[in-house]
Amino acid sequence: MKETKKEIKYEMILCIVNAGFSETVMDAAKEAGARGGTVIRARGTANKDAEELFQITVHSDKEIVMILVPTDIKDAVLSAVYGAVDVSETRCVAFSLPVNRTLGLG
Amino acid sequence: MRGGGIVVKEPVSEPKKSTRQPKAKAAPAEQKKNKAPIKLELIVTVVPKKKAEFFIDLIQSYEVNFQTYMLASGTASTEILNYLGQVTDKIAIFSLARADKVDDILYALEQKFHTIKGGKGIAVTLPMTSLIGTSIYTFLCNAVEAAPGGM
Repeated sequence: MKETKKEIKYEMILCIVNAGFSETVMDAAKEAGARGGTVIRARGTANKDAEELFQITVHSDKEIVMILVPTDIKDAVLSAVYGAVDVSETRCVAFSLPVNRTLGLG
Repeated sequence: MRGGGIVVKEPVSEPKKSTRQPKAKAAPAEQKKNKAPIKLELIVTVVPKKKAEFFIDLIQSYEVNFQTYMLASGTASTEILNYLGQVTDKIAIFSLARADKVDDILYALEQKFHTIKGGKGIAVTLPMTSLIGTSIYTFLCNAVEAAPGGM
């Protein structure tokens, strides 16, 4: 694969938030240097017993925000997202996955 | 060398006879047993909704037996999109592909991204580290020889 650019290393940040909070996440990510993202609607599930034990309610309507960022700003974006969202309200879970190759960027 | 220069040739030595014993070839069954497992990668492709089926078929033609797709939306600001007259409706395609086929798939996708009108998209590949179930694994690898009804 000659055309694939390998100079910049990317990671994919996945933020799972309650429905309606994807814009908050994207705004924070953009401020930290992210260029854009993709939002997928999803449904969440949780252990009912655990919900009762920890006294939390898991909303089933979720949004998954996929943000592709260069590795060097990944931590900044994650920190910005964590700082921008109210975790107790949005139930935000954010993590990053390594990306081998990218296509169609820039 | 130009002119009448002297070219000293090194004496040609006879090829040394190797003292190593040639490795005994493993039996076909043993070779099959010792074969390294095929790695899998997850390809995430985000394309316009209208072109989703085309890209799904394209990826499927590269021995990709399992794909799932879902409606997604881009996050570009609406002002810019209105100005450009574009829509944010996208489809995110998740394809589990053999690692040795990923290069070919990405090359094909890139060709199509450039040539199809309104078919611009992005694709990324993520490594897969674990999977449960041998039958699922053989299905995802398209390992025809390992299939119950295979050769």
